[in-house]
Amino acid sequence: MTTVKTRKLVFMALLTAISLVIWVIEAQIPAPVPVPGVKLGLASVVTLTAMALLGRREALAILLMRVFLASVFAGSFSAILFSLAGGALSWAVMAAVLGLFDEKQIWVVSVLGAVAHNAGQLLAAMAVTKTAALIAYAPALLCAAIITGAFTGAAAAALIPALRRLNDRRGGQ
Amino acid sequence: MKHKTLFFVILFAAIAAASGAYYALSGGGAGVTANVYVDGELVERFDLTAAVVPYEVTVTTDYGTNVVRVSHGAVEVASADCDEQVCVNQGAIHDSLLPIVCLPHHLVIEIEE
Repeated sequence: MTTVKTRKLVFMALLTAISLVIWVIEAQIPAPVPVPGVKLGLASVVTLTAMALLGRREALAILLMRVFLASVFAGSFSAILFSLAGGALSWAVMAAVLGLFDEKQIWVVSVLGAVAHNAGQLLAAMAVTKTAALIAYAPALLCAAIITGAFTGAAAAALIPALRRLNDRRGGQ
Repeated sequence: MKHKTLFFVILFAAIAAASGAYYALSGGGAGVTANVYVDGELVERFDLTAAVVPYEVTVTTDYGTNVVRVSHGAVEVASADCDEQVCVNQGAIHDSLLPIVCLPHHLVIEIEE
């Protein structure tokens, strides 16, 4: 008989696997613009969904597990460092503002998370290259983050109620 | 509820547009000198106005190799042995607006105003 804890653990493992697959597939898509760090960030859909359905700490656990596993699949230590920098800052910002918005405006949380993600990566890039001149990319990354954040936010907004209904039917977790 | 959504849509659209416009409006200083940094340290310096015929300089570090092509008023990364190739795809820069970055190689090329 599955307990609540087991069900939750399985759900978290499932979300981790899903976000990892999304991340790996997205990594194959070449960057559309020659700006380092511009990506769709589709895996954030899982992070935000987990945060809304399970909680902040659970979402962080899933995020860290995904980054750790990604290092196994995608090699380069540098890339993982950037992923971690962006992901951690993104999680922190989303965790902080999630309570301020109701479900209809959850896409705003995603936009803020995306902006934080790019900011984190830019700061990491500036630290790695020890070059402050990279700040010139800030407006481009801000613009890209707003667009991608809105997109992934819309996806999360559709996913969250659907998953919640699915879980409720099974007795919740 | 609709008002809240609209407010944020307009707010973010405005910010996105403003950040895009920033580049269109702020033309950087024309290319005179290009500096190449690895780990924040200056490793090469090119006089772009003196380059009559384009020439290439290979920058090799512990991180990898980048071939920098210097031409009159412009500088670019002709080729590199990094996975991402963002630096190569970026093409040439002519002013100080944006630097060229090769993150895996900790390399930055920027034009001094």
